[in-house]
Amino acid sequence: MGSRLIDLGLQPGTPPESWNITQPEKIKQIHFEYFGAGSDIVLTNTFGGSRLKLEAHGHGDKVKEYNTRAVEIAKEICPLNGYIAGDIGPSGKFLPPVGSITEQELLENFIEQTTILAEAYVDLFFIETMVDLKEAEIAVKAAKRVSNIPIFASITYKKTKRGFFTIMGNSIEQCSKVLKEAGADAIGANCTISSEEMIDLIPLIVNSTDLPIIAKPNAGQPQLVEGKTIYLSKPAEFTRDIQQMIKNGATIVGGCCGSNPKFINEISNQIKREKK
Amino acid sequence: MSFAENCKEAILNGNIELAEKLANQAIEENIDINIAIDAFSLAIRKAGDLFEEGDFFLPELMRSAEAMKGAMTVFEPKIMEDKVDRSLGKVIIGTIEGDIHDIGKTLVAALMSAEGFEVFDLGADVPVGKFIDKAEEVGAKIICISALLTTTMVGQKKLIDQLKERNIRDKFKVLIGGAPVSKKWVEEIGADGSAENAVSAVKLARKLLEE
Repeated sequence: MGSRLIDLGLQPGTPPESWNITQPEKIKQIHFEYFGAGSDIVLTNTFGGSRLKLEAHGHGDKVKEYNTRAVEIAKEICPLNGYIAGDIGPSGKFLPPVGSITEQELLENFIEQTTILAEAYVDLFFIETMVDLKEAEIAVKAAKRVSNIPIFASITYKKTKRGFFTIMGNSIEQCSKVLKEAGADAIGANCTISSEEMIDLIPLIVNSTDLPIIAKPNAGQPQLVEGKTIYLSKPAEFTRDIQQMIKNGATIVGGCCGSNPKFINEISNQIKREKK
Repeated sequence: MSFAENCKEAILNGNIELAEKLANQAIEENIDINIAIDAFSLAIRKAGDLFEEGDFFLPELMRSAEAMKGAMTVFEPKIMEDKVDRSLGKVIIGTIEGDIHDIGKTLVAALMSAEGFEVFDLGADVPVGKFIDKAEEVGAKIICISALLTTTMVGQKKLIDQLKERNIRDKFKVLIGGAPVSKKWVEEIGADGSAENAVSAVKLARKLLEE
């Protein structure tokens, strides 16, 4: 979503969620492109739609409006066999010692956003790009408290010399255990690492849980060339990596930063071919 | 345990009380302030190395930096009194306009102060002009400009272009940071460098000033 919004002219400093009000046609067009490309689930344009995140942009009074409208836009274009996931990203604030937010403030932040998304009838919650397991756990618990719909929770890992960890030092085993106990129905990884790196990560997650596994890597690393951001990965290579992740046990697959409907289309076609 | 070993323990465990206690002890016992500070500096550099190796993560590194800050606050009046010039130079740091990500930048700022730079942290969402004006005002040697978004990275180029326009490009070393920054981008816009992480950033800043 984010990469496409930038393609369509989203300016620096503008929260993407504001487009749910000012440019709803563009948001609808992006959802349309993804369903057309073969997506089973599309994520609402609400990644940064929690109060703490919107307040940082000075849009704290728009939480309800942005989140409700985001779901409505997606519903207007959703096919009968499609699903709408309420997208929930990090608050942008950190617990001590890195930052000074409290667990209670995070809980309230996510209860508010998940309540609005649930009241607008999303089919599931997609909590993603979490770099702190504690924040992810709080978000999952908030979602669990407000609704019985499925909760997908996805962590952003970094590859270190000692293996995959979040920047806070949470291991794969810790993440899998804590997220399951908090009430997640599917867990996995997204963002930061490329499809090639994520191939090695998936079997490690498989070994740590019995929940369905999400794999949503970046399409390569972003490079800025002549003032434009490009991701050095092609749909065919990306799809080959995703195929390997499916073989390794991933059941919910997609693309994060740098991917676009072409990537999803290629993956979708490949999966259909293999099913035949 | 020796004084240096105690300092190391305080910093690596992120023990602020112990770090402050040791700093006070050094002053009371009239230990040469340069030697005392060097003991702490060595420890914070060790914390940095552990972070680079993947043995320390963000919380541990932040705790170490906080403990270092605690010790330095104790030393500050003594430094002023003795007119000890420990500053490696003045550094302007901030996150570019349109970008509110400030964790990476804050980390670099904390480690740079710990190392002995005099750091002016302008915060996040800072206009290009403000970086330059502040750098001129305080006589900074280095400007560090962070951008976490590929959409705001162009601000880094804008900064360098403005320095050139004002004919003051040579007065400052410009370091650029942020996840999307690549070597190619550094070359393309004519910056003086970028580093993989906060620890290498401090090392790079030292190296640039030695040149």
